[in-house]
Amino acid sequence: MTTLTPTPQSWLRRRRGLLAMVALLIAFPFLVSIIVDGQGLGAVIANDQGNARFLQGLAIEIFILAIYALSYDLILGVTGLLSFGHAMFFAVGAYTFGIMLKTHEMQWVAALVVVLIAAILQAFLFGVVLVRVKGIAFALVTLGLASVFWIVIQSSDLQQWAGAEIGLQGVRAPVWFLDTTNERFAFYLVTMTLMILCYVLYLRIIDSPSGKVFHAIRENEDRALMLGYNTFWFKLLVLVIASVTASLGGVLHTMHQPIVTPNIAGLGFTVTALLIILIGGVGTITGALVGAAVYRLLQFYLDRWFGAASELLIGLAYVVLVLYLPYGIVGTWRAKAAKRKEGWERLRTLLSPGERPTS
Amino acid sequence: MSVILETQNLRREFGALVAVDDVSMEIEEGSLHSIIGPNGAGKTTFFNLVSGTLKPTAGRVLYKGEDITQLPMHRTIHKGIGRSFQITNIFPNLTVFENVRLACQALGSDSFRVFRSHLKSTAYLERAEEVLAEVGLSDRALTLARTLPHGDQRKLELGMILAPDPDVLMLDEPTAGMAAEQVPELMELVQSIQEAGDKTVVLVEHNMNVVMSVSDRITVMHQGARLAEGAPAEISADERVQTAYLGALYEDRGGS
Repeated sequence: MTTLTPTPQSWLRRRRGLLAMVALLIAFPFLVSIIVDGQGLGAVIANDQGNARFLQGLAIEIFILAIYALSYDLILGVTGLLSFGHAMFFAVGAYTFGIMLKTHEMQWVAALVVVLIAAILQAFLFGVVLVRVKGIAFALVTLGLASVFWIVIQSSDLQQWAGAEIGLQGVRAPVWFLDTTNERFAFYLVTMTLMILCYVLYLRIIDSPSGKVFHAIRENEDRALMLGYNTFWFKLLVLVIASVTASLGGVLHTMHQPIVTPNIAGLGFTVTALLIILIGGVGTITGALVGAAVYRLLQFYLDRWFGAASELLIGLAYVVLVLYLPYGIVGTWRAKAAKRKEGWERLRTLLSPGERPTS
Repeated sequence: MSVILETQNLRREFGALVAVDDVSMEIEEGSLHSIIGPNGAGKTTFFNLVSGTLKPTAGRVLYKGEDITQLPMHRTIHKGIGRSFQITNIFPNLTVFENVRLACQALGSDSFRVFRSHLKSTAYLERAEEVLAEVGLSDRALTLARTLPHGDQRKLELGMILAPDPDVLMLDEPTAGMAAEQVPELMELVQSIQEAGDKTVVLVEHNMNVVMSVSDRITVMHQGARLAEGAPAEISADERVQTAYLGALYEDRGGS
């Protein structure tokens, strides 16, 4: 129909990278079990102790971080809203789910509904701010909102619910596939599926008519307004989507960690999201997944090998990453890939007889 | 011909400064109406008031007989008023095609469809190609807007206003910053668009040669107020205009 739009490829071909990743992630615990632990495939199903079980735990943390970072990339990378309160989006999910299960002894489905409502409400809260302020001012107000939340959940008045400074302890798994202690492999598959689901949905979202408007808002919000888009509703939509996604990450976090500490509501955790998408590539979506893996693995292995010196080494690693991969891993890769493609095309025109390049 | 756009005693104050001083203007449907005046005459402020970017201190804006004074910026385009800016105002890191496609999509109803590919809304894709052909940017469709030369960016901006097929085009110095030899090309484009689509064009322009040759009617603004209005010949013969604007300009040129 048109020459300007890419020709659609078959579903399998377009998704071959994703399918390969899913296959690899499912095979991963089994491979570790056979190669590293020297055990059979049954050890994974039986959730035996060993490297396979341990590395699944680490992978689950990466999946949760990836879900969390995806939502931040939608806000910051795609739409260009600078929010410093993103940790709150995650923590509201984590705390709400934990409190509903533990203190209120709710059914897990009902608890999820409460989390969903809480997530949407907090997006509206941020949205109210958004009407008034933009840019750096928005960053500061969101930072303030998140700080208030961080202080509130640590207050001793709320100890019976949120557990004050210690955090939320003793949340029991409500259903077998959310039980990371006894059903590690099942929980691994659940978090992986949810991460992939979020990833695919996010790819769809940024390619949708709404997603295109999100990009327009990042590029030039006044122009988007002038074109006839009421940008406020689009920004609110972004906040709702991101808030629900990050809360889902929080829910999984509550299930995976024995203690939900107030740290996940602090500024440090927002910076974690920022670092992850800087490593992966801001606005690339895929970068959130890659960044989460690189971030957590760096943090974990540097800490294991170098102990106290690891903080310094992590800092150095970031400096190197930013210097040599200014657009993050995925962003730089894509820029280079475009250049390579251009080069190949030029070579092909040069080599093909009778067809002289015009310029 | 009927009046499509009308302002009644439109006034805007910035503190003690009266930027637009009780301007009443009638713009006829299908005409090319230019607004000229020295720097600071209030031309751009007048544009901002009509397009909803600014709210007037007093007065009314009527479009097809309907009061649009309080309409926010993002609603005026839905009524059929497209507006360009003096400073190039595009989406720099999106492709030329996407810039125009977004302009087409803005008036449709599927901007809130979150899980559907934008490529399925083929009407916008086709319209965007049409518009790019019209402004002569088809071969640059897939380049990033920021890499275009300035003249092409002005054309792109024109395309973005044209995309939703508005009845009134408000162009704020469309040739600003363009090389002199590109100006006639762009103005021919504007004229052909106006004549082909029977559109109304409101033009703010500094280039006097351009204004005199293309306009049906000219309004001269001076210090926020409407100084004179008439056909190009009447305006160039008007003594007040010559002293306030043309005279000063020609003296400057003579002196240099």
